[in-house]
Amino acid sequence: MPTKQGALTDSDRRNMRVVMDRLIPPVDDLPGAGTMGLLDEIERIASEHDRYRKSLVRFLDALTMDMSVEAEGGFLALSGEQQDEAIREIEESLSKEFANVLEVVYISYYSRPEVHARIGWRTGPLQPLGFTLPPFDESILDTVRKREPFWRQAPD
Amino acid sequence: MATGPVDILIIGTGASGAAAAWRLSEAGFKIVCLEQGAWQRPEQYPAAHANWELQGATTFAFDPNIRGLPEDYPVNNTESDIAPLMFNAVGGSTIHWTAHTPRFHPSDFRVRSLDGVADDWPISYFDLEKYFDLNDDWMGCSGIAGDPANPPRSPRPMPPLPLGPDGERIARGFDKLGWHWWPSDSYINSQPYRGRNACNNCGPNGLGCYQKAKGSTDVTYLPEAIKNGVEVRTNARVFKITVDQDGRANGASYYDEEGIEHHQSARGVIVAANGIGTPRLMLLSKSKRHPDGIANSSGLVGKNLMFHPYAMVTGFFDDPQPSTYQGALGNIIISQQFYETNARRDFVRGYSYQMNRSSGPAKTATGLAISPVKWGEGHHEEFAERFGKSSLLAVISEDLPEERNRVELDRAIKDSNGIPAPKVFYRVSNNTRRLLDHGIRNAERVLLAAGAHRTEANPMLRAGGWHLMGTARMGDDPERSVVDGNCQAHDVDNLFVIDGSVFVTSGAVNPTPTIQAIALRAADYICRERTDLKG
Ligand SMILES: Cc1cc2nc3c(=O)[nH]c(=O)nc-3n(C[C@H](O)[C@H](O)[C@H](O)COP(=O)(O)OP(=O)(O)OC[C@H]3O[C@@H](n4cnc5c(N)ncnc54)[C@H](O)[C@@H]3O)c2cc1C
Ligand code: SF4
Repeated sequence: MPTKQGALTDSDRRNMRVVMDRLIPPVDDLPGAGTMGLLDEIERIASEHDRYRKSLVRFLDALTMDMSVEAEGGFLALSGEQQDEAIREIEESLSKEFANVLEVVYISYYSRPEVHARIGWRTGPLQPLGFTLPPFDESILDTVRKREPFWRQAPD
Repeated sequence: MATGPVDILIIGTGASGAAAAWRLSEAGFKIVCLEQGAWQRPEQYPAAHANWELQGATTFAFDPNIRGLPEDYPVNNTESDIAPLMFNAVGGSTIHWTAHTPRFHPSDFRVRSLDGVADDWPISYFDLEKYFDLNDDWMGCSGIAGDPANPPRSPRPMPPLPLGPDGERIARGFDKLGWHWWPSDSYINSQPYRGRNACNNCGPNGLGCYQKAKGSTDVTYLPEAIKNGVEVRTNARVFKITVDQDGRANGASYYDEEGIEHHQSARGVIVAANGIGTPRLMLLSKSKRHPDGIANSSGLVGKNLMFHPYAMVTGFFDDPQPSTYQGALGNIIISQQFYETNARRDFVRGYSYQMNRSSGPAKTATGLAISPVKWGEGHHEEFAERFGKSSLLAVISEDLPEERNRVELDRAIKDSNGIPAPKVFYRVSNNTRRLLDHGIRNAERVLLAAGAHRTEANPMLRAGGWHLMGTARMGDDPERSVVDGNCQAHDVDNLFVIDGSVFVTSGAVNPTPTIQAIALRAADYICRERTDLKG
């Protein structure tokens, strides 16, 4: 269970990595989000942003305190389907916190160069390169230009 | 510390405050602007960093409650269907804005006469027309004249931004249905303009523009105003507009960055702190002469809050177009096919459509206007369906004024200076709900006609309070309005309100060109008729 300040224990980290693999599973040659090694980055972001830190703490608290999970020997001992089930229960009971956890996991994962390479996104800052700005092509207006003015007159 | 009198004190340097500062300074008024935020450095905007999407969700988030920066003030939105959004810095919310810049229609100023609802404005479209043009010129408008849904307008200073293949696809969808659309007017440079660069199509212009291609007032009006002698005092948070024995405004008290209290005296005061910040400040400014807040004898300060409730419909396309994230987010197409009241419909007034692009990978995953991509099995397939392949139509609904929708001072929540925060009470009306549903159904038709294989609607965007209007409305009757048609307070003849607070109705378009035209017109009135305010 995390400390009040949000520091994760080794066991939290093990749980969280597996949670992250369940949230974003492996694809092509990429491992799941947990195995990819994103947790350090997530902890760093959480340490800077209270919203994520508090949510992460509550989420991991809920995961370790879930009686049915405990009865099975802890989250790591569950099958993949059971793990999904346990996560889904928290998603329902702590929807706001779960949404924040999901957000920070998604942001971290989709900020990684190797993920960008797979999905075809040019990685790094958007500026100063940007993209090409072609000129406006007026021919697209051919149809709408045939329309008579139809704005509504109003008394002065 | 007390500071010697200036002619005009302007509170807020956003869209309206900066425009008025420039105009008044041209006429030689001595002006100080008090701004609670700081200057931004465009080369440091999120797009200059690899983690720009994280910044967009945190330190640069649209919602001040999420950002929580010292210069922000919290907004209690627990009693509101819509969360107000704003930015607090030199340039105000134009740092964040998308710069989609349609104008109000002539009919928007006459809704009581035409449709029997709400109230007419004391001014007309044609009173504002020359100020719209002036503003287009200074802010830098790209667009093309000839839109059949609007009165003729002068040639735009720059050609339109390209629609891109994704925009052209949607345009053809409208054409197929025989419905109106037009390239959006945008305060974004399609070519270099007034010393600022052209847009380079990077995309997320809601996060500040590195190229200064987007017209935010810190790079348009304010540099010129400063050349004219205007002083912009930053990190200066006003907590009270002060009055003399007769109840006339004589300046404002504010805290500096260190929390030290100061007073700036002035012959006239302009409030330009936006549709939430302005009523907050007016309600805070109680005195013997103004026991319910300054200029509030009508009791209408804070009342009649309007937002423009938004519905968003996303279309998913599978033909291999270049990606739908390339190009300015929302500066492509507007449709005003359903702008006006039609007696056959079950609602009064109407709406516009604004096309929006998709976003970068993280925002795609966390959900741009729809739920996040599902987690677990099927995650990657759903992400692939969305990423670079979705376009959106926003339904911008006209919001009619209702007194129950309001801004009050919160009893418990305070900002970093201990000043009471605003609390917002807002419920979407039945008329708006029906209007949005109509808009959603028709947006789906457009997207399908454009080739989408599937659509998904968000019936109302909670995080969509971009447009803040109505909370110090203008009118001829002092019992039913706070300021007159020149933005001068009925109760205090040297106090002016020039932001979206003065709107009588909301129209169904993004409001800022209309806000700025009103601000410029009010400034012209002061230059012409209020020379008594010049020292
Ligand atoms: C994300 C986003 C996108 C938008 N996109 C569009 C768009 O595409 N088109 C459009 O027309 N509009 C858009 N808007 C709305 C537009 O930004 C506003 O309508 C416009 O900026 C309002 O101008 P204003 O002068 O009333 O207030 P603002 O621009 O909000 O400026 C108010 C200023 O007052 C300052 N202030 C407030 N209280 C105090 C105080 N007590 N003391 C000192 N200073 C104070 C604030 O710090 C701020 O700088 C968007 C807004 C947002 C947030
Ligand atoms: S899309 Fe253009 S206007 Fe928008 S931020 Fe990028 S460069 Fe600036």
